[in-house]
Formats: sequence, C-alpha cells, structure tokens
Amino acid sequence: MNFGLILFFLVKGLEISAPIAFAALGAVFSERSGVVNIALEGIMIVTSFTIVWASLALNSIWMGLFFAVIAGMLIALIHAVVSVTFKVDQIVSGVAINILAFGLARFLSQKVFGQETQTPTNPHLFPQLLGINSMAFVLIPIAIIAWFVLYRTVFGLRLRTVGENPEAGDTLGLNVLGLRYAGVIISGAMCGFSAATLFPSQWISGMTAGRGYIALAAMIFGRWDPIGAILASLLFGYADTFRIMFETKIPIPSQFVQMFPYILAVVVLAGMVGKARAPAADGKPYEKGED
Amino acid sequence: MSETLLSMRKITKRFPGVLANDEISFDLFKGEIHALVGENGAGKTTLMKILYGLYSPDSGEIYIKGKRITIKNPKEAINGGIGMVHQHFMLVPPFTVLENIIIGEETKKFGLLDESLPAEKIKALMEKNGLIVDLNSRVEDVPVGLQQRVEILKILYRGAEILVFDEPTAVLTPQEVEDLFKTFRQLISQGKGIVFISHKLDEVLEIADRITVIRKGRVIKTLNRDEATKSLIAELMVGKPVLLEVSRPDVKEGPAVLEVKYLSLQDYRKVNILTDVSFTVHAGEIYGIAGVEGNGQTELVEVIAEAAPILHGDILLNGESITNWDVRQRREAGISHIPEDRHRYGLLLPFSLAENLTLGMHHKEPFVNRFQIINKNKIREHAKAVIEKFDIRTPSELTTALALSGGNQQKVIVARELSTEPKLLLAAQPTRGVDIGATEFIHNQLMIAKKEGRAVLLVSADLDEVMSLSDRIGVMFKGRIIKEFEREKTTKEEIGFYMMGEKEHAGN
Repeated sequence: MNFGLILFFLVKGLEISAPIAFAALGAVFSERSGVVNIALEGIMIVTSFTIVWASLALNSIWMGLFFAVIAGMLIALIHAVVSVTFKVDQIVSGVAINILAFGLARFLSQKVFGQETQTPTNPHLFPQLLGINSMAFVLIPIAIIAWFVLYRTVFGLRLRTVGENPEAGDTLGLNVLGLRYAGVIISGAMCGFSAATLFPSQWISGMTAGRGYIALAAMIFGRWDPIGAILASLLFGYADTFRIMFETKIPIPSQFVQMFPYILAVVVLAGMVGKARAPAADGKPYEKGED
Repeated sequence: MSETLLSMRKITKRFPGVLANDEISFDLFKGEIHALVGENGAGKTTLMKILYGLYSPDSGEIYIKGKRITIKNPKEAINGGIGMVHQHFMLVPPFTVLENIIIGEETKKFGLLDESLPAEKIKALMEKNGLIVDLNSRVEDVPVGLQQRVEILKILYRGAEILVFDEPTAVLTPQEVEDLFKTFRQLISQGKGIVFISHKLDEVLEIADRITVIRKGRVIKTLNRDEATKSLIAELMVGKPVLLEVSRPDVKEGPAVLEVKYLSLQDYRKVNILTDVSFTVHAGEIYGIAGVEGNGQTELVEVIAEAAPILHGDILLNGESITNWDVRQRREAGISHIPEDRHRYGLLLPFSLAENLTLGMHHKEPFVNRFQIINKNKIREHAKAVIEKFDIRTPSELTTALALSGGNQQKVIVARELSTEPKLLLAAQPTRGVDIGATEFIHNQLMIAKKEGRAVLLVSADLDEVMSLSDRIGVMFKGRIIKEFEREKTTKEEIGFYMMGEKEHAGN
C-alpha cells in the first residue's frame, strides 16, 4: 500500500466522520443539560436542505452555513419547547421532529425547486484543503472549544449541574430550564456544521441516512464527553470510509458491507452496557417544587 | 431577647384540597436555635420552602432584620441571607466538593472558571467552623456525614445568616450528630440563627433554645426549652397523649428460623456489596440491623426476600436452603417483607386498598376460584376485616392507596404482610416518614409478631428504633456485619462507634 493511499484514507475519513462528529458534539451539550436529543437526525435533514437552499438563494456558501445553523437552532428550539417547557417525553418529541423534518424538507424542496426528492446542485462550495472539504478541519478547533466550554467555564459547570441534579441547581439559584434550552439549541447549531460537511453541493431526500442516530450512538460510546464523542465518531467515520474505499474489492454483497458501520455501532454499544454513566437527570423533565 | 433575624407573619398556603399552612407565624432571633417540630404533613417543609422561594405563599409577610421582603425564587432567598440544608442533599455526586460549593456563585478569571480563589475562601471557612473536607474529592466518594458538611459550607459560602436544617440528623450516626451540634453552637456564637427541623425529640430538647410545634398547618405552641418535655411536645404534635416507650413482651426464644451463612454479593461493577454476612434470627426474636444507610442493608433484605444471583453463601429458612428459590416459593414458605420503599415496591398506588391487601395471595383461593377468576366479594370481605383489625384510617376498602396518608399506607403493607401469618418478617425501615401515631402502632405490631413466635429481621436507619425493639443488634459497615450485640449489653454510643467503622478491625 502506498503513502498516497494512506494519506487519502486518513483525510477522507476525517471528511466522512465530520458530520457525525459535529452532531455528536452537539448532542453532548444537550444530554449533559439533561435532554436526550434523538431529533438530531431530523435537524440534520433540515440543515442539509437549508444550506443548499440558502447558498443558491444568496449565492454564498457562507450564508448557507449561517442559515443552516439558524435552522438547526430553530428546530432544536421546537424540541426544547416541547420537552423542556411542556415536559413531553423527550424521545417522543424527538421522534415527532424527525418525522416532521423528513416531510418538511420534501415539502420545501417541492415548493422552492419544484421537485420533491432533490434540489439542483449547488455550485457554491467551501474551499478544498488536502483534497477534501475544508470545513472538516474546523472540527478540531470546535472540539477544543467545546471541551473548554463544558469543563472550564461557569456556563459549562452550570449546564452539567442541571443535567445531573436539576433540583440542586434550582436551590442554588440556577435557571434550570434556560440552561436546558441552551444545551438543546447548541446541539441544533452543531447540526448546521454537520450539514456543511455532509454534502453541501446538493440535497437529496434520505441523504442523512441515519447519521443523526449514529451521532447519538457515538456520543454515548464517547461517554457524554466531547473528546470521547469525537473519537467515537471517527471510529464510525473511518469504518464507513473503509467500506467506501474497499467495497468493490471485497467478495461480499455490497449491501452487507454497507451495514458495517451500523453493526459496529450496535456491537460497540452492547459492549458498553453497565460501563457508561449518563448524566443522572438525562431524559427526565424537571418539575419544580416536586415532593 | 436579642435582635430578630427573621420573622414570618401569618403565612398561608393552600394546595388543592389541603390547607398546608394556616396563618403560621414564626420568628428567629440572632444567636438562637429554633426547632420546628410536627408530624409529617403538618406543614414544616412547606413553610421552609416558602421561606426559600420554592413556593410562593397565598398570603402572609416575611421580614428579614425588620425589613419586609418578598422571595420569589431561591436566588432571592440566598441574597436575603437564607441558607438551607435540605433533607435530601442537593449535591451533584460526580462533581468535586469544591465544584459543589461554588455552583451558582462562581468566580471567573479571563472568562474561565477560577477555582483557586474560591478554594482559599472555602479553606478559611472550613477552619473557622471546624468543617474539614477534602475539596478535590468527588462528593460520591465522600461519606454522608461529610456530604452534610459540604452542604453547610455551601450555604456559609453564600454568606447565609439564617440557616435552615431540614431533618439533618436523620442520616447521621450519634457521633456525627454530636459533631453537627458542635457546629451549630459554633455558628450561633457567630450571631447566626438556626431553624432546626426534626422529629427526634431528644435531639430537639438537647439543642434548641425554643421549640415551635405545628400541627395540621397551624402553630400549636412555641415553647422555651425549660418548659418543654418530651411527652408534652409529642402530645402537642399528635393532639393526644402518646406512649413513647414500647412495652416489650417477655418471649422465650425458639429455634433458628433464618440463618444466613457467609453471604456475599456483588454489584454489576463486581464491587462487593455484601461480604461474608452471617447471622441467625430465632423464632420470637427481633434481630435489628443498625448502620448508616448504604452499607448493604438494602441489598441484604432484598437478597433474603427475592431471588438474586449471589456470589457465595447460603440462606436457610427453618434449616432448609432457600438460596435458589424464587420469590413465590419464599413467600409460600413463610417469608413476609415490608419493603424499604413503600411506593415503589410495597403498593400499587392507583389500585384500591382491597386489591393492595390481597397482593401476593391474589392467586390463591378464596380470592380466585379454581379457574383463576378473581372473586371481588371475597377480596372486599378480606379487606374489610383487615382494615378493622389493623385500624387503617380510610373512607372505604375501595379507596385507592394513593389517597391515604403515609402512615396509613404503611399500615396497609404491615397488615398485608402480617395477615399471611409469616414465620419470618423482614421489616425494612418500617416507620420511615410515618407519623408518631402510626409508628406507635407499627412498633406494637412488631411486638405482637414477636410474641406470636415469629422471627423478625428489622433494618432501620433510626438507631433509637433499632435499640428499643431489637433483642440482638448487628452493626453493618461496608457490607459486613462487623459486630453483634445483645440489646442490654450495649449503648447507643458504642453502636454508633461501630456504625462509622471505627472498630472495623478491632472486634469480631
């Protein structure tokens, strides 16, 4: 195997991991604040449509990114309103958003571009670096920032407090619901970056292909930690890269090879049972003054 | 008397169907410990939650140092100099002690969290008040007594002058209670005021300057310490004279009923919860397990009541090994269980009393016919008889368990578990959160069970309860029974010493 191929594999793997990693990073913030965000998949659908739409409309991929981030935050806001304020089961809310997002993107595509399942191609792209989408490299500084925010800032300490023991946060004068909103909305914003690294040149219905769920799995495998989540995302991303590069060279039906990252996710998570510890109040709505 | 720190005037709070606080007035002076006592549901906690901004009162006024204030949330309470140590600690277990103290009052350096400045401030507080804790330990690794210190440091760090302690001694050993009281005295000497909520009357009499008794949402009386006695307070709390001592029947001990031999148990992380636990309970004997909560008592009772995969050891009932039996086999062999958590394991809250009282027997005649069809009439008849016999206060046998008071719910469980005429009764925290009247009743029932020759295993976090009921007492520490005592041959202090594991390697 030559050096060029290895370098290509390494760089390509980063590009393929990036959408998962950004979403997983966002999920860390949501879950550390106490809100399970299974809506990642749906948010990613909407952001990956928005980035193409806004790029085409405003002739700039940067505007596309801006509006994708905004769209991600808005969809996340729905999840926050429903599950934090109205205390609807977080899984139910997330699943509802995923279904809604699937339809919403198709509806908008039909309205805007006259075709339901795909948009025209978007000529405005991010600059290339080492032969891949340069946005993938943004992952590295963002991961470092995320780690600092979570563990070295007042906001991070408070966010983790309401994810572990919201009642304690409340008695210390923290704004429990506000912090949870912040956690969920950060995860929506991160899905904007997922869209930027997924496939900003066109939106095709179904193109997220479960990456939101894989991101959730990566976040769990990464033990609710930003660096862990990134490493787990890289594992899944590289597994997928390997699949793409060698699919045709392996004498196994390609459908089975395509299952590889997902089977890996199941196996890895099953192996984690009893080892990982979720934030204690993760998934539980906070009722004030409960006795 | 000296300066008034806090004055609550005619506080009224109504919840749907309940008048929780009915024009309650309460004062706290500088340098005073003011005890607030009353039965569960009397309104103590509601009053304190109003003070702390967790509830808003329907009417009434709060003055701090003579100035009227409204407290809409905990932040405003903290700013007003109020600090509260809640009954269930408000700590974040995976965080360090330092982090737990500073949450909400952090200091920043260049936009980032600064830990060095708060650490110095906290160390000064620790030395001033004799509350030493390692700031870098995780709270989950710190024993309960020290966790409470963290809670106290938390409120001192915020500069509180009015300190509210909601049943602080419930989780402590006698020695830790002494330490806490030392801290109390230290704090009031600095001019702070303490509200001490407790249902342990001995402790109230030991430490309080004044005692306010509330019942059914109203202040019944405020007593000075010199005019208060234990029986007077109890009578004011309940509204009728109460018998505080249990009369112990003289029963001759029978053969061994429960034998536990070298029992070891691990949790999912392969950490030992129980290690080589051995003891015997005889017919007509009450064997008490004393210990700070979380030392394996819960798991010990569970492993006797239910089938659980054990590491090694054996459990014998009347000489026969039941280690591999399932729950139904055990129950039919004569084991009854009053579980620690009555809401989760003891009752089906939305179900009627009649149904709750037949649980565990519901599959047997006469409650079902031979086709396993339930006979509602028989269930109701049975329930009526049991309600009568055990004096359960309920409108009818069709009332849901949810609608009853905690004391009556507990009576339902006690009644059900004793109505099977068990050979062995496992009683885990049988009077936790139960009012004085029901406690008295349950204690008497345990004595009757003893008199009838049943073996009773009693687990309680309340050392007074263990001491007054048990014939023999085993002290649990870190999953072992580190010492066994005859009731007459020990003292509360001695047991407390072992509860902290101080003599872990000395005896046994």
